[in-house]
Amino acid sequence: MPQVLSAKERSLFQTVVRNYEDKQYKKGIKAADQILKKNAKHGDTLAMKALIMNSQGKTEEAFALAKVALQCDMKSHVCWHVYGLLWRAVKNFEEAIKAYKFALRLEPESAQIQRDLALLQIQMRDYQGYIVSRKSMLQSRSHIRQNWTALAVAHHLNGELAEAEGVLTTYEETLKNPPSKTDFENSEAVMYKNSLIAEQGDYQKALDHLESAGKHNLDRLAILELRATYLTKLGKKEEATKAYRALIERNSEYKKYYDGLVEGMAIDAVDHKALKAVYDEYAEKYPRNDAARRLPLDFLDGDDFRETADKYIHRMLDKGVPSTFANLKHLYSSPFKRETLPSLVQQYINSGKSEANEEPKRNGDTSKGASSAYYFLAQHYSYHLSRDLDKALEYIEKAIDLEPQSVDFHMTKARIWKHYGDSHKASEIMEQARTLDNRDRHINTKAAKYQLRNNENEAAIKTMGMFTRAETVGGPLADLHDMQCSYARQGKVGLALKRFMSIYNIFDVWQEDQFDFHSFSLRKGQIRAYVDMIRWEDKLREHPFYTRAHSQPSIFTSNCMTSP
Amino acid sequence: MRAGSIMDIRLLQPSDIPHVQHANITNLPENYFMKYYLYHALSWPQLSYVAVDVSRPKKSPYDYPRIVGYVLAKMEEDPPDGVQHGHITSLSVMRTHRRLGIAEKLMRQSRMFPFQTYNLSESKERHSGKENRLMDIERAMVETFGAQYVSLHVRVSNNAALRLYRDTLGFKNEKVEAKYYADGEDAYSMKLDLGFIREQILDEQDEVEEVDEGEPVGELGAEKDKALPLNGKKDAAQGGKKMKVRVGRGLGVGDLVEKNESHKA
Repeated sequence: MPQVLSAKERSLFQTVVRNYEDKQYKKGIKAADQILKKNAKHGDTLAMKALIMNSQGKTEEAFALAKVALQCDMKSHVCWHVYGLLWRAVKNFEEAIKAYKFALRLEPESAQIQRDLALLQIQMRDYQGYIVSRKSMLQSRSHIRQNWTALAVAHHLNGELAEAEGVLTTYEETLKNPPSKTDFENSEAVMYKNSLIAEQGDYQKALDHLESAGKHNLDRLAILELRATYLTKLGKKEEATKAYRALIERNSEYKKYYDGLVEGMAIDAVDHKALKAVYDEYAEKYPRNDAARRLPLDFLDGDDFRETADKYIHRMLDKGVPSTFANLKHLYSSPFKRETLPSLVQQYINSGKSEANEEPKRNGDTSKGASSAYYFLAQHYSYHLSRDLDKALEYIEKAIDLEPQSVDFHMTKARIWKHYGDSHKASEIMEQARTLDNRDRHINTKAAKYQLRNNENEAAIKTMGMFTRAETVGGPLADLHDMQCSYARQGKVGLALKRFMSIYNIFDVWQEDQFDFHSFSLRKGQIRAYVDMIRWEDKLREHPFYTRAHSQPSIFTSNCMTSP
Repeated sequence: MRAGSIMDIRLLQPSDIPHVQHANITNLPENYFMKYYLYHALSWPQLSYVAVDVSRPKKSPYDYPRIVGYVLAKMEEDPPDGVQHGHITSLSVMRTHRRLGIAEKLMRQSRMFPFQTYNLSESKERHSGKENRLMDIERAMVETFGAQYVSLHVRVSNNAALRLYRDTLGFKNEKVEAKYYADGEDAYSMKLDLGFIREQILDEQDEVEEVDEGEPVGELGAEKDKALPLNGKKDAAQGGKKMKVRVGRGLGVGDLVEKNESHKA
């Protein structure tokens, strides 16, 4: 039989709990020991002591003591809850869930245990279990909207879309007065419900819902985007066209909107003239817009391409936009375009229109006109589809002559040396580029990367250290790890493995990071973003940073085994 | 359509976060934990934007985006001055993608900036008589979260950023915060008033609802308000009443830190 405490000891037990919550661990242990002096086998006190010890970092002792507590009082929900918390702390969620369930069976009314259980279930993607928990939480507190929304999310994630929608509808029907238009939680719940309707494939219903319930919604962009999508799906081309035009008015740099517009206008894919007219309209309307000027280069061919590309190139080189080449290189899959573009740039140089611009420049910026054109050609000849490294070097030197302080030009020069396979020279030039703008972290990162490639590990760490906090214990690497920086390359096999292990840890942290958001997002009411996150986290290990780290160590280990 | 475009400007999605973090740490000295990015994306998913290079052909079903610029924005929780307002946490454009106006486009998409400011700063090139096009864009931060102004910090030596914020977007210098940055540099604390966007929205609401509270209604009223931007008193009276938005009060970053699950017994 479990021991029974006197009134005085019961209040002392409350003190233990409070001490734990206030993180006054020493006091807590002292108070617990005081109870245990007379009641050595009091399960709850033993359990609380174990919990406190765990917080002090004595994990093993805590587990041992928690087991003793359970032996003393198998029927105490406190003992089981603590046992679950200990498993939770060492991230053994399966065992933690089991323990919580025992605790909950003994104390079905405990909101705290129920909540802890539910959080673990969703973290573990135990959707069935999460639904059961959420139903029970809703029953005990049905006046709180969050509890309804949470149950809907549980059904949704379990693939039960109609049930999810139904839960939201049931809640709406309990409302006597319509919520205020500025009630953000309601606004978002409406949009969430709309997404559920659409996910079931009933676009007409989704559209109707959007136009009625979503009329005054606070998320205007979502309304406009969804409306355009639904209209397109429903084949209402004329209205869809209007909807996409409204979207382009808001944001004219998003290809998706132009695609939607063109689809709605039902223009024949080979009717380039008609297609181009669509883009021209916006290019004219928005003088600073890039997308409408550049997108036609994708489908145009022959003289039409030449003419449009010429205009585009002039505009970009006149402005000295450093990404001009990056903006166009995707066109290089077409041999015609691959030849046309550099010849247009050459013409630009020959025309003499590209006099060096006199306007003062910021330190290290790409300059305008001729140097910009040489820079384009250097990149062209450095690119793998059109590579001629000698020419590339020739052009970058011309550019640097005009603009000796340009960081961008030196970066490209270093890159050309990298393509030559000369990592020493590459690193040297990149370091030179770095010193042209010490305060720019982008070039700092590049320089460090090139040093690592050239096996200058110490120098690289020093370079990176210029932008990490000096006071961090363990130096710059520790700080970069702190900031979850996903690459640090080392020449030595052992160290490399260690770095790769730390990448694994980063992914663990990412996964753990989402834990708090299971309750946070419900309180915030941002349900659609939360569901997006859950779905993304489920794909986290497909992340290229992870797969890259994952495949590399096996290469290292096999190297270790083969080399003596 | 065949090949992809180069640069999309669109809302930040959770799956962008590792790449935004990567862009941040390779470009800027001020870095944050992943959780802080998540906190932005999950609290105010309408406010942060990315510029994405999507030119490369898709290689795998999970093809990751190449982020060339981003703006991370938030609402201030429990603002000390009691006034709802937004804050720009971080803005960065890759060195290789500058001079395309990406920073400005990102800022405008994060919907904090009134079109009037835009027009004030119009260069000849931009002044094309299409002034109203940004109207709808700029409203939503105000619409969705009831922001009255937006604030940011910028290094006193960062002339390019200063030009953007002050000359192009219309921010005003509030004060200098000494040694704001870890390396000891001072920051300008800047602010942009969003008051008259609020007025505009309120006027439109009045039009739609036909609620006449003695304030000017309809086109004439709207025009007048545009011409006479700030009427603080009216803003306080009307704004306070109608634009009350629940932004999850009391859910600060502190709440993000798990509460030890300690409520025992």
